[in-house]
Amino acid sequence: MPHFEKVKYKPVPVRDLFLEMKNLSELMIDLAYSAALFNDRELAEDVLELEKRVDTLGYLLEMTIMIAARDAHDAEALTGVSTVASAADKISDAAADIAVIVTRNIGVHPIVTEIFEKVEERLMQAKVNTGSAIIGKQVHELNLAANMGVDIIAIRRDKDWIIDPKETEQIRDGDVLIARGVQVGIEEFKELVEGRRLKLED
Amino acid sequence: MSEENQKRFEEIVERFVELKDTSELMIDLAYSSLLLNSRELAEEVQRLEEYVDGLHTDFELLVLESAFKKEEAKGLLGLIRLGVATEKIADAAAQISEVVLRGIEPHPVLKLTIREAEETVAYAPIANDSPLVGKTLKEVRIPEETGMWILAIRRRDKCIRPKPDSKIEAGDILIASGYSGGLESLRKLASP
Repeated sequence: MPHFEKVKYKPVPVRDLFLEMKNLSELMIDLAYSAALFNDRELAEDVLELEKRVDTLGYLLEMTIMIAARDAHDAEALTGVSTVASAADKISDAAADIAVIVTRNIGVHPIVTEIFEKVEERLMQAKVNTGSAIIGKQVHELNLAANMGVDIIAIRRDKDWIIDPKETEQIRDGDVLIARGVQVGIEEFKELVEGRRLKLED
Repeated sequence: MSEENQKRFEEIVERFVELKDTSELMIDLAYSSLLLNSRELAEEVQRLEEYVDGLHTDFELLVLESAFKKEEAKGLLGLIRLGVATEKIADAAAQISEVVLRGIEPHPVLKLTIREAEETVAYAPIANDSPLVGKTLKEVRIPEETGMWILAIRRRDKCIRPKPDSKIEAGDILIASGYSGGLESLRKLASP
């Protein structure tokens, strides 16, 4: 039996909860597909963690909506928010279903990966190693889009996810980065993150 | 793996990629329908949902028809499950578009990511003599020329997610959003 955490009401604005659910669910699709296609168990486990987060957000959103509705008019307007949030929850469930293909070792045939790589953008996850040239740099200083055609979509720092990190976010030793981009750029960027490539441009 | 199976595999994967692309496009379109409060876009999502159902069935049949060896079967199971997940994503997109179709008043929270409130959604059918025919999206620079942003390309039953190297064909319908001012110039380009 999995452990289900008790969700305690916290006063968080509906817009924050809704936006985080929407962004996370869309991010999870990208993460889950890459976990399945590149058979990356760690990434798949990350997706399952995010799915729990979306569930928690869903509960908090429902509670907040219930408190926010003062009359029939409010209720009518808020029911749209609730419906869309539940759709975002479904999307995150679908992403988790994909992740489970990996965690349960069902696997995807290597030929699928091979063919798929030709048509899909690639995603990667890499841990910032001590000695990496990007430690202490802010995201915008890396100028990744221009240099490598890569975009950092998430940073895991300890237990927290920084989704769609700000331009001023500073990369730290031990961060786990998730990036999306063209295949060549992704490979270069991975080397850079792990400290196997020393310069940003060469 | 035999050459025949390799071919079959490629066909299965191509179907899956179409499923995946369509389901992700649907999410984009569904949120756009919400933000622009566009019934047309919402109906497009509903139509695509039916299309995906058909596509998904064909995909599953294709997988079932293939006689693979035992060790290959596990990889196919993964594909079948991926297909089911894309179907779920498409359903979720349909659920979002339903909010628009039911006429539920769009709550301010749902409009958070809207670019401009005055934006509209436009459909531009491509005529045979359009200068866009045979060109890629990168070449025709529609946003720069018209101020309209291409959300999707409808080609017969399909809906294609716009990529820089997507080629425009006669008979395509461009689904675009932007200010109503740009609509006229887009229509002129599409069917002069």
